[in-house]
Amino acid sequence: MEISFKKQIQQLKLGEGEVFHGEGILAITKALLQSGVSYIGGYQGAPVSHLLDVMVQARELVGELGVRVEACSNEASAAAMLGASIHYPVRGAVTWKSIVGTNVAADALANLSSPGVTGGVLMVIGEDYGEGASVVQERTHAYAMKSCMLLLDPRPELSVMVDMVEHAFAMSEASNMPAMMELRIRACHVRGSFVCKDNRTAAVSTKSLMSEPAPFNYSRLAHPPVTFGHEKRKIEHRLPAARQYILDHKLNELHAGEHDSVGIIVQGGLSNALLRSLQQFGLADAFGQTQVPLLVLNVTYPLVPDQIAHFVENKKAVLVLEEGAPEYIEQEIATLLNRRELPTRLHGKDMLPVAGELTPEVMMGGLQQFFAQHLPAIDTMQVKAALDATVARRNSMASKLDQTLPARPPGFCIGCPERPVFSALKLAQKDVGEVHIAADIGCHSFATFEPFSMGHSILGYGMSLASRAGVSPMMQRRVLSIMGDGGFWHNGLLTGVQSALFNGDDAVLLIFKNGYTSATGTQDIISTPTTQLKTQTHDKLASLTANNRTIEDTLAGIGVQWMRTVHSYRVATMRDVLKEALTTDFNGLKVIIAEGECQLERQRRIRPWLADLLSRGQRVMRVKYGIDDDVCNGDHACIRLSACPTLTLKDNPDPLKVDPVATVIDGCVGCGLCGENAHAATLCPSFYRAEVIQNPHWHEKLLSGVRQRMLRLLQPA
Amino acid sequence: MINSTSHAARPLSVLICALGGEGGGVLSDWLMDIARKAGYAALATSIPGVAQRTGATTYFFELYPVPIEQLAGRKPVFSLNPIPGALDVVIASELLEAARCASNGLPSSDRTVFITSTSRTLTTAERTIMGDGRLDTSALLALVQSVSRVHHAFDMQRVAADNATVVSAVMLGALAASGVLPFDRALCEEVIREGGRGAQASLHGFAAAWQMIAQKNQQAAQAQQLINLIGDTEKKLPELSGFPIEIMDMLSLGYDRVNDYQDKAYGQLYLSRVQSVLDAERRADTASQNGFQTTREMSRWLALWMSFDDIVRVADLKSRASRRERVRHEARVKPSDVLAVYEHFKPGIPEIAGLLPKPVADRLLAWDQQRLAEGKEAWSMPVKLASHTVLGTALLRLIAACKYIRRFGIRYAQEQTLIEEWLSAVIAGMAEDTQLGYELALCGRLMKGYGATNERSRDHVLHVMRHVATTEHTTPAVRADAIRRAREAALTDEAGTQLDRVLKELGAPARPIKAQPIRWMPRTKNTN
Repeated sequence: MEISFKKQIQQLKLGEGEVFHGEGILAITKALLQSGVSYIGGYQGAPVSHLLDVMVQARELVGELGVRVEACSNEASAAAMLGASIHYPVRGAVTWKSIVGTNVAADALANLSSPGVTGGVLMVIGEDYGEGASVVQERTHAYAMKSCMLLLDPRPELSVMVDMVEHAFAMSEASNMPAMMELRIRACHVRGSFVCKDNRTAAVSTKSLMSEPAPFNYSRLAHPPVTFGHEKRKIEHRLPAARQYILDHKLNELHAGEHDSVGIIVQGGLSNALLRSLQQFGLADAFGQTQVPLLVLNVTYPLVPDQIAHFVENKKAVLVLEEGAPEYIEQEIATLLNRRELPTRLHGKDMLPVAGELTPEVMMGGLQQFFAQHLPAIDTMQVKAALDATVARRNSMASKLDQTLPARPPGFCIGCPERPVFSALKLAQKDVGEVHIAADIGCHSFATFEPFSMGHSILGYGMSLASRAGVSPMMQRRVLSIMGDGGFWHNGLLTGVQSALFNGDDAVLLIFKNGYTSATGTQDIISTPTTQLKTQTHDKLASLTANNRTIEDTLAGIGVQWMRTVHSYRVATMRDVLKEALTTDFNGLKVIIAEGECQLERQRRIRPWLADLLSRGQRVMRVKYGIDDDVCNGDHACIRLSACPTLTLKDNPDPLKVDPVATVIDGCVGCGLCGENAHAATLCPSFYRAEVIQNPHWHEKLLSGVRQRMLRLLQPA
Repeated sequence: MINSTSHAARPLSVLICALGGEGGGVLSDWLMDIARKAGYAALATSIPGVAQRTGATTYFFELYPVPIEQLAGRKPVFSLNPIPGALDVVIASELLEAARCASNGLPSSDRTVFITSTSRTLTTAERTIMGDGRLDTSALLALVQSVSRVHHAFDMQRVAADNATVVSAVMLGALAASGVLPFDRALCEEVIREGGRGAQASLHGFAAAWQMIAQKNQQAAQAQQLINLIGDTEKKLPELSGFPIEIMDMLSLGYDRVNDYQDKAYGQLYLSRVQSVLDAERRADTASQNGFQTTREMSRWLALWMSFDDIVRVADLKSRASRRERVRHEARVKPSDVLAVYEHFKPGIPEIAGLLPKPVADRLLAWDQQRLAEGKEAWSMPVKLASHTVLGTALLRLIAACKYIRRFGIRYAQEQTLIEEWLSAVIAGMAEDTQLGYELALCGRLMKGYGATNERSRDHVLHVMRHVATTEHTTPAVRADAIRRAREAALTDEAGTQLDRVLKELGAPARPIKAQPIRWMPRTKNTN
């Protein structure tokens, strides 16, 4: 795993009254233990990876509490795990990133929330939306509404987030509804502190097992005819129970304020941004003391009609601050006002942009309109001026620049084993022509950026092979599908491989076997090299993925007849195998496995090992690639073929030449791609490979000494 | 700014712009720990996403500048997002990211202390251009300065490297020294020390950065250095007497290059060619208002074209003592270490044939063409030559010695004819209009390298020279401009897409389509 959570794990042990300092998502993790969960599962993904990573690394500690931690194969299996709480009084929590994870989990969620739960169930949802998001822009809110699940959107204040976790479990039990807690990216990574409680051991746990299964009870199945009854219970029992809990425990915060002719209803997760915006109008102080009445919804589904009605009555107008589209909350409130014939004027997306994040800047724009219309007494000119100034500043910046600044998207790491494969693919297409490339989710999707710009579609995690089923039959040339081992196990094996084989499709699948789900933080999967292997292997420099053949064996077992495994750094070989796969007479599924361990993990393994060897004065060889300035032709073809961060430009030392030359800067891990490309693509002959032997053997020293002397005779200055 | 009594005090907002993997997370932790020890309420957050994979990212930190014990139990509410125009400090570990932040309108000249590194980590877009796609550093610095109340600039990456630490420690030093946050130095250093592994290096980086900010005037000087451009050095040689002083630096460099490449005689040929351009320019620009700009550029590009790259040249350059030293330096080889160097060569038939006289060369090339016709790969010999061995270097020197037979090879002949064609085009252009001659001279820049690259660039030059320069019914000025646009377009992309677009606009004929063997893939009928 990319990050070690040793320190954080210590914090999970904190007891009553001690203060936790750290990241939001880790506070949530601690809160789960304080709430007495029996099992935890999930699938990694920003921004909630840390929750699962910590739990996996803390298996020992949570084991003592009798908590079962499962690193699930995908979100569907995580959601299905929650089924334990249908019959049994056990609390369970799972986590994943949304919207994508919730999509994958949807089937299980529908079948979970129909019979409802006995033990409290909480899904910690990373709402990956807006700046820094890496997935599609949809709202988890829709799932809460359609499956009748609780949705919490707590104020991004650690103590509040932690309380809400404990309430979520209790509320889930009180209403039999599964609960979701959505945390925005900045909330997951917010650093703060809260006062801890002791961790709670559950009544039922891996330490104290249940002796008997629950008696058979058809009404606990999501199966007609009882599903019709479930539907009634959702409306007549569960929602009211949840609403009652929200009122009884004051989960939503009501803040009074002297300007009570108006009011603002805001999602809890946005309340800090709102308060900071109000400060700009002089309507709130630094401590959140507001002059405008607020209703802060720490629970955004279900809403409590009476609470809202009570908040809006006798108000001229209310503004709803709701992020994302469609504006479900605003619509529900509109219906409510209408049904109860309340005259209050409702504002929201009419004053705020329908799409995009509600940052303080955006909010200030909406508030300015709202106040100008309904609180004329307030001076909003100052804020308006500030907003205009910002726009002016942006324009002047733009006018100062003669071009738009180049973007800096994420890219392949230094020495990433996936980069060479795309170099090879670029070369292969020069010979066999351009092919349609069905791309996928994972580090390899960075190939959609320059200089590769490859990939026609991304249909979801592990979907690449399936997504070409309609394309390849219509295409003269073969179609290439790209998948990582993460995607392969997440569902690519079933949705893609099985389907292609069953239909006898003429398809080409390229699997990146780097041994981890790297993009989410290099979590282990079933095809990860074992820890035992990592510690025992003699040549720690070598890629270890070859030693785990689960993918190859699985493919062979399911009936793949054409399979080639190529080391990903062998660019020329990879190019030829790609050409073969795209041109061979074999009409079935052709699978190419690009073998090469994730460089992040490889470095994590070998750095300390090399450091240790050096400290003990042992022989270590370090490889660095370099470029001869005077040979480099300043054409940068090498960079267009690789774009390794350490292969960059510097001023041309030759005063006659004007174009910058390519150079390899420190940080090069000597992966060998430069040399491979130089050969495979017949680049200019400026690349050299330098092997530096530290603590050399005596005979190496001797030989080198002799050589040096003789070379001096041969070489001119 | 920090008024501990005022309850109207506002939180201090700090935005950190960095690249993934630069330890911004560590920096956030440090800031939070320091704030806690100093007794202030604070918040930090970030949006890492997948930016850990070398992408751009930001970290946000807020601190309420009144000690907690004076707050009577009240908790400040912090924002998780920066508010444009309401930032007290912006600190960036890379200059483009600083400029990006500026262009988003976040910092403002009435409030923001803007601390930026002058170092650049080039984006892919900048690196993949065939010419020079790098952004103008001075422009970026100016942009940043224009939205700063106070502006500090220094090379954070260098400071980090010099102290064998990560840039996050350097950023903390700069941030603390800026004096905006109520952090005293001892406390910062205490928190770093608690970091354990690498703490000592971090402390050095921290101290160095603190120094940098402490002495303002130094940064000013450094920023200036970057804004200035490096001047060329001047050298004198007897053979060069009679040439105007304005071109002397280029000319002497060029003359040396050509001599070194072949021999004195070749050097003389170079001088006579430059002379012919000089005469043309003297005729066209009698008052020499342009300071012989065309002759100057010509002496640059002519020297480079005349010393065209071939395996002989490469072997020569790679087997010099000076080069061995350069490699030792670049690879950071210590005296106690042993160094092995492998050269990546892949000569093909054209490179070898280039050195041979026509009859032999033609036969070789024909054989290679035959292979291609049969759908085979063009013949080439990938070698990893061990130049640290005696045999390897001896081999390189042997090839380098072929410099004397180069004159009899076909490549030499071809290049000379092309050079002459270009030369006369420039002179002819000069006669029509000085600017036209100048633009044609600059086309020498398109001539690059070796193998396929060289072929491509040659085609571009010839096409511009033969078609754009001679389009009829247009004034020379128009054609001069056309040539400039075509030349610049030719430098932007490999496929020549931009060039083709410009050619189309100019009404010049498109480049002839190159024959390229594509393997045909007949899809045999699907079995089901």
